[in-house]
Amino acid sequence: MSCRTGLLRGVRSLRDLCIPSVGAPVGRDHESSADHRYARHEVTCMLKVLSSKMAMQGTEHLGNLVRAAYQRKMLEVRGAFEAGGASGAVTIAARAAALDELVRGLWAQAVERDPRLGNGISLIAVGGYGRRELFPYSDVDLLFLLDGKLAEKDVKDAIRRVNQEMWDSGIRVSPVTRKIAECEKFDPENAEFALSLMDHRWVTGDATLYDKFAEQCVPKLLQREHKALTIRLLELTRARHAKYGDTLFHLEPNIKDCPGGLRDVHVCGWMTKLRAAAVLAQKKGAAEADRGPVAEDDEFRKAVDFLWLVRCFLHYRHERDDNTLDWQAQDAAAETAVGMTGRKPKKADAAYWMRLYFRHARSVERRVTQILEEVPAPFSSKLLGLKRERKAEVVQHGFRLERGRVVLESGAEFGHDPAEDPDVVLQVFSVMAGTGVTLGRDAEERLSQGLPLLSAHLEEGPALWHHLQGILKGSHAGDALRTMHALGVLELLIPEFHGIDALVIRDAYHRYTVDEHTFVLIDTLHGLESAQSGAMAEWATRLGGVLRELPHPELLYLAALLHDTGKGRSTGDHTRESARMAESVLERLELDTYESRLVVNLIANHLEMSAALRRDIFDEETVEAFAGKMQTPEALRMLTLFTYADINAVHPDALTPWKAENLWRLFIATSNYLDRSVDDERLGAQEERELVHRVVALLPGQKAAVLEYLEGFPERYVLTRTPEQVRTHFKMAMGFASDPVQLDFRYAAAVSELTLVTRDRPQLFATMAGVLAAWGMNIVTADAFSNRQGVVVDTFRFTDGFRTLEMNASEHEAFVKSVHDVLVGTISVEKLLSGRRRGRRKAPLVVVETRVEFDDEASSHSTLLEVVAQDTTGLLRALSLTLAAQSCNIEVALIDTEGETAIDVFYLTRSGAKLDKEEEKVLREALLKAIEENAR
Amino acid sequence: MQKIEAVIQPSKLDAVKDALVEIGVEGMTITEARGHGRQKGHTEFYRGREYSVDLLPKVKLEVVVADEMLDKAILAITGAARTGTIGDGKIFISKIDEAIRIRNDERGEIAL
Repeated sequence: MSCRTGLLRGVRSLRDLCIPSVGAPVGRDHESSADHRYARHEVTCMLKVLSSKMAMQGTEHLGNLVRAAYQRKMLEVRGAFEAGGASGAVTIAARAAALDELVRGLWAQAVERDPRLGNGISLIAVGGYGRRELFPYSDVDLLFLLDGKLAEKDVKDAIRRVNQEMWDSGIRVSPVTRKIAECEKFDPENAEFALSLMDHRWVTGDATLYDKFAEQCVPKLLQREHKALTIRLLELTRARHAKYGDTLFHLEPNIKDCPGGLRDVHVCGWMTKLRAAAVLAQKKGAAEADRGPVAEDDEFRKAVDFLWLVRCFLHYRHERDDNTLDWQAQDAAAETAVGMTGRKPKKADAAYWMRLYFRHARSVERRVTQILEEVPAPFSSKLLGLKRERKAEVVQHGFRLERGRVVLESGAEFGHDPAEDPDVVLQVFSVMAGTGVTLGRDAEERLSQGLPLLSAHLEEGPALWHHLQGILKGSHAGDALRTMHALGVLELLIPEFHGIDALVIRDAYHRYTVDEHTFVLIDTLHGLESAQSGAMAEWATRLGGVLRELPHPELLYLAALLHDTGKGRSTGDHTRESARMAESVLERLELDTYESRLVVNLIANHLEMSAALRRDIFDEETVEAFAGKMQTPEALRMLTLFTYADINAVHPDALTPWKAENLWRLFIATSNYLDRSVDDERLGAQEERELVHRVVALLPGQKAAVLEYLEGFPERYVLTRTPEQVRTHFKMAMGFASDPVQLDFRYAAAVSELTLVTRDRPQLFATMAGVLAAWGMNIVTADAFSNRQGVVVDTFRFTDGFRTLEMNASEHEAFVKSVHDVLVGTISVEKLLSGRRRGRRKAPLVVVETRVEFDDEASSHSTLLEVVAQDTTGLLRALSLTLAAQSCNIEVALIDTEGETAIDVFYLTRSGAKLDKEEEKVLREALLKAIEENAR
Repeated sequence: MQKIEAVIQPSKLDAVKDALVEIGVEGMTITEARGHGRQKGHTEFYRGREYSVDLLPKVKLEVVVADEMLDKAILAITGAARTGTIGDGKIFISKIDEAIRIRNDERGEIAL
């Protein structure tokens, strides 16, 4: 029996112990200097121990000395921690060691009182205490193990007394008494107990009994029950993660229970042990070669050290087992540079400090996810609901998919290391984005290591953009991007992303770090692709429709990826910074000017709709101002979708049905405004806008002619064309002398485009529509514009109903010639139409109600007509013939389809003026009749 | 103590909040709401479909103030929220029997 009498020899009073005065400030003000803060509780205990029992001698005195030594040791440890020298690891180990001494001393005292206790009972540290991780205010799990020879009633009192003494010393002991035979049984209701046994450690008492426990009892239990324990552990972990929204991003994280916290670290340890037990349990030799668990890497260990440090910090600060990193704690942690090695940077505020926290938590989360994913499928897929039943291996170029994981081919098989081949690597992520498969452990390691060489082989330009599109458009894009980001591949492709890695925006609204926010935004957009339930279902459906109709969805996703990169720079306006950074990215990807402009404008304007929503959305002026910033329907649609997703990605509760409804209202009001203002917003004679400059730049020396050509076109014309396209039209217009009917045909498998440039005359539009109908083309969108000189530019975009052009390349020429002949007058449209193939009319999936509406206010000099009807072949021809028959001139036409709905907008004049009420009435009846007849 | 419930235009929320903070009222509860009074909704057409609004978006703001603050608070709200057109909203006043701060059991006006 040892005792530390030396420490307390000659002690008569508190002063002799040189304890700082009890009167030192211990108030609620937690901001006072750490050196003077001593826990009220610990001092009280010390007083109790020393002042009330100093007089006693003998075994009582021994117990007191041991307790006093313990108290003093704990205060020392705390002092060392708060002075900044001791790490979390050292602190918790020291506390465990000090407690060991105390327990031994107290137990020695108990044995002296009752020698029967000397045999057959063992005191074993389990749980955190067993791991030598004793945090300042955690519970202490202590197991009193009996061998069965000692009757429990005999030892009950002694145990109770020891526990009481520990409580009196301020130790929150959580004692459990068990017979060794009981420990071998597994109680599914109390899996936590079995799990805690895995971290056992002898403290004092019968060592032989402990050996039996450690070498026989526990291993037997684990080998027998590892499956059940694994399942239970998985369930508990999943439930706990779900409780915290399955995300490590919380404004005030609980560093023990949140994903990426200390509980997850424990889970890693337990899973490793369970896995080892599973291997031992395999009697016939493992069916699948078990390579053992992933070795802990540096990053993970650093993260654990950091978390230990922070937990000590929080316990000492809160003076109880409170693991919440609340707002003030974050400030205090940053203030005292907790866990920050090296020189503390000038601006180390709470946001900077939290960034460190999230980076570490992310490392832990990655490891625990890895470990949980490696649980053999039979248990996990049932629990985690994963679709990993695919038995067939899918082979790709350089890699294959095995049971839902990516496996890279070896360098030998492939010729060179696929992990260093950008084509393979990007294709891997593309497949991951498309199907939701994850990287196998091996593939991850190889990709990590291959990064420098991958960087050397990476080529920018259209090939890279092609790959990136594939990744961005996949429905699991968010997860693929997260993996790319964690591995460093994303920053390789887009170095601009580096500045927002784990960047914290510290306010009550932003739940996620900026990089995670970006991924959540992209996830939200993809979420619109499928039906949703719940309060947001209605809005999700409507916006899903808008998303489906986007001609360039990949540009929306690209803009989403880059939209907040500017936040990495600390200038005031991040939208402009992001736009600038996007420009350089777009240059490297070699997108064309129209696409680039869409992306850059979206990024530069990405807060405009949110801003407009804070104003009165039912006020004309708000809509007008907002429409002015949008300029085209395509930009408006993209921003609407973006804003919906952006709000949702700030915080899970941020997007309410109330907000979504207002968003929708603003969208339709602005959309209508844009359509109604086309006619009045026309290019002037000396137009100075940038788009015009670009066209002029493409045609050097012809500025005057170009401006003359452009004068009078609606602004919509140049806004929806690339400068190259406008140049083409200009050249066509200059070619009237050789051929008054100029046609430009661009074939594409999906949607082809035919543009007519000629002088205006009656029935042009109807004729074009007729020829297209005769060839079986389905018009998707079209527009018709004219300039001041009467030159019209009619563009039709259509799909090839009978795949005539797809199957016969030579038909392209025949097609264009046919159109030309009809327009020139060589052939009549009726003749063509009479010979056309009539396809079987499919029953429409959605029945669309016909609507014919006139608006006299929209334009200053023409009447706006909107026709909404079931989209059928020949509809446009029927409508335009009717208009011609009623002597209406089409000033502007905007033709669009959405699913099975045709939306046709015309700006009409009759005899150079708006239509009057009577004319409108007649026209309406004629149109309705024509629509009906065409449908038959 | 008096409770002020104000139903206002959403676009006026920031101005009203600022005005209240300026006179020393710091605690308030904001609810997203829909409603109408004499201001009628309207119908918007988009792509041939009708989207009618009978219930317009509003914001409900609730504050409890000491008796002597009541008039100042009302003035702050009306000053910030008024446009002079139909749809500006309404304010309702009711008497509050007791206020309690959950954190520390403070009661009465000091709990506000």
